[in-house]
Amino acid sequence: MLKRPLTKYRWSNFRKEIFSIVFLILRFTDKGEINMTKIFFSTDIHGSEKCWKKFINAGIFYGASTLILGGDMTGKAIVPIIKEKEGLHRAYFLEQEHELKTRQDLEHLTQAVRDRGYYPVHLDIEEMSALEKDKSKQEELFKKETLETVGSWIEWAEERLKKTKIPCYVCPGNDDTFEIDELINQSEYIELVEGKVVQLPLDYQMISTGWSNPTPWNTYRECSEEELESRIRESIDKLDQAKPAVFNIHPPPYGLGLDEAPELDENLRPKYAGRALIPVGSTAVRKLIEEYQPRLALFGHIHEAKGMIRCKNTFCINPGSNYEQGVLMGALINLEKDRVGEYQLTTG
Amino acid sequence: MAGKNGLEGKDSGLFVREATGLVREWSIFDAFVYAFFSINLITLGLYIFSFAPYIPDGHLVTAIIVSSIFIVFLVIVYAMLISILPRAGGDYVLQTRILGGPLSYVLPFTGWVFVLWLWVPLYGNMLSWNVFTPLFTLLAGMTGNQGLLDVAFWFNGVHGLFVSALMVCVLASIVINLGMKGYARVQKFCFYLGMAGLLTVFILLLANDNATFVERFNAFSAGIGAGDNVYTDIIASSSEAGYDPIAWNNLALLASLPLIPMVVFFNLWPNWGSTLYGEVRGASEFRRNFLGMFLGLVVTAVLAVILLALIARTIGWDFYLASNFAFYEGFSGFPVFPFPGLLAAMLTDNPILQLWVIISLSGWFFGWMGTVFLSSTRVLFAASFDRMLPEWVSNLNPKTRSPYNALMLMTLPAIVVSFLFYYVPGFDVLTLNATVVIAICFLGTAVAAIVLPYRKPDLYNASPVARYKVLGLPAITICGIVLAGFLLFNIVLWFMDPVYGVHDPYSAVFMLALYSLAFVIYFTYLSRNKKLGIDVKKAFDEIPVE
Repeated sequence: MLKRPLTKYRWSNFRKEIFSIVFLILRFTDKGEINMTKIFFSTDIHGSEKCWKKFINAGIFYGASTLILGGDMTGKAIVPIIKEKEGLHRAYFLEQEHELKTRQDLEHLTQAVRDRGYYPVHLDIEEMSALEKDKSKQEELFKKETLETVGSWIEWAEERLKKTKIPCYVCPGNDDTFEIDELINQSEYIELVEGKVVQLPLDYQMISTGWSNPTPWNTYRECSEEELESRIRESIDKLDQAKPAVFNIHPPPYGLGLDEAPELDENLRPKYAGRALIPVGSTAVRKLIEEYQPRLALFGHIHEAKGMIRCKNTFCINPGSNYEQGVLMGALINLEKDRVGEYQLTTG
Repeated sequence: MAGKNGLEGKDSGLFVREATGLVREWSIFDAFVYAFFSINLITLGLYIFSFAPYIPDGHLVTAIIVSSIFIVFLVIVYAMLISILPRAGGDYVLQTRILGGPLSYVLPFTGWVFVLWLWVPLYGNMLSWNVFTPLFTLLAGMTGNQGLLDVAFWFNGVHGLFVSALMVCVLASIVINLGMKGYARVQKFCFYLGMAGLLTVFILLLANDNATFVERFNAFSAGIGAGDNVYTDIIASSSEAGYDPIAWNNLALLASLPLIPMVVFFNLWPNWGSTLYGEVRGASEFRRNFLGMFLGLVVTAVLAVILLALIARTIGWDFYLASNFAFYEGFSGFPVFPFPGLLAAMLTDNPILQLWVIISLSGWFFGWMGTVFLSSTRVLFAASFDRMLPEWVSNLNPKTRSPYNALMLMTLPAIVVSFLFYYVPGFDVLTLNATVVIAICFLGTAVAAIVLPYRKPDLYNASPVARYKVLGLPAITICGIVLAGFLLFNIVLWFMDPVYGVHDPYSAVFMLALYSLAFVIYFTYLSRNKKLGIDVKKAFDEIPVE
């Protein structure tokens, strides 16, 4: 009873390996050009200005023809930089209190905060005190900072994309407020792709969503598995069945190894020092991947779960995220006419 | 909303909104448990302490204390590096991202993959000598059943040891297939079980004196047909063989330094979990990582000294050393490895308590054995993700999520190595490279730590550890230099003195073969990727911001 499936599995793997070797040999001996396009995918930059700029520059740097940013563009925290008196500011950042006496110090810290994915906000002592007491003011401030930051990012990106002409697709994720959609929609060079079918080179077509299955944090774009399935199905229904598809879905499928996050206790404290990992991906996404079997599936959301896996006929990839360190994790993928070609996970 | 969060880890004055991944700080105790088990007093410690007679002028206590002081620098270096580059893959990721080049691949790959094959027979020895042999010897002593004693002897012979190594492969694979969640639970249970066992041993040793031990040991030995006065015979025969144990009260600082390269087999590993750290970590975790590993190191060192002191008091220091010497030299009157747990169990007449001692101490082994492959699979995955190994290496079974190929890459060669270890005379010496190759890998990481602030200033300055300075220099550089010096001290002694088994032409050839194989793999994949249009170097380069 045990032998049969194992034998079958090994033979199937072996067969794939043989085909892959034969394909490579044919490819090297083939003098003709391979019809191919290289896409760059990154995700979960969470407000890191450095990562955003790297993402926009990645097209030229890696020679990619298309840029795709998965969800979660916006920052998670505000770092107050408090003006105590003329010529003296104070801030708590990177586990230490910073005393800022010169303009240069102030500018340096402000940029360091932005690069790490937080929003630096200059306040005096009274403003800080008022903000601490008023939750609605904090929310307003978050909204203001988020919009200003995304606005400035778009402006910065447009200057470059205008010259490079590299298509740039962005799909906000569950951590992103809805207001940023309007800002992105106004851009001439960055396309908001939530719920849309986008035509990629070589007849590939891409559907996208930044919505996720429920999280313990009750974020902006999360919903039940049933609703998520129905959202994605709506997009799938718009696909031309004759063309190869790319799914750009923020939450990874459940249980394929791209969704392993630290198990948390009831106080959101990682159990076993964060080493106990559990799958937290979406069952709906897995179901749809297995059912539709797109050629390529791009995921994010779970920063720890960097990796790739082949699920039936789908090549699934989650490049992970390291935004706090200002490192842009990404995936370069060669799309060929009849298959997903070579790929490389990057740490830029 | 200001307050505790996963970004800064303390009451930092940040305002945080609801967002995925904002978790609270994890428990330092949990981090401590992993580090504590990685430098495992009962398995690794008592195993390597048994070789101390081969450096007769050195004192174990001195070597443990001095080495632990230097290993604190290893803890600082790794805690800082994890904080700067929090990614799964440990030394492989740290070296490839900071240093780059072939060595940054070859050192960790050899240290964390090839050499872990060599650790399997060593784990097999420990399973046999610390669990099976004492268990069946004890049962034989209790029942007078010769068959049980034969089983104990069988586990002490090549077939039994080979089977133990196979069991290590099977058990470690099961543990890894359980996933980290399951393993963490097993480990925590084993921690409490093992600590309860150690406490029982402490109590038994404290509650009895040397005269009682001698009487009971002789009686037990006679019960299993070993003779009537084995205690004295062992000391006498060792003395006749030229072994003169160092006195317990002679701490012999300088003479104990050569014992350090031996002792580090046991305590050089508080950073073993560094391969497991994933990408999402709060910046504050430098202190948590440091404390977890530091406490693991210090508590283990303290427990080791207490255990040795109690052994000296009740079992007898001369006898403890002489019995190990006689065992390895093959003239011991006591027919099995003189595992201190077994010796302590003899101090009670209560068979349930005796069994409890052996079974509870086995928690130290079973909570730890998964480490043999766990870190290796992470390194294999990291290399596969970098396209520096085939993609199939990182395959997971979609149903069980088992990393079956990575596990096979570890278990199958490990079984072959175990076979050679037990059945091919002389091969066992090669496994003494097990520590040296990993230490050389750590040396690579120490160099990465030294140069990091200068080679990757942006990355370094964006980390919370950038504020730690010593005499105006980055603390990570200074600690890296001390660590490199300590590792070099050990490496030089390993290569110069034949007592460690590394100063051996076969050993050198074997090590070179391992490194060469890693070089071949590196250049093969580099060239393969180049042909396919993948520029691996560029994939790790920083994208310009402007």
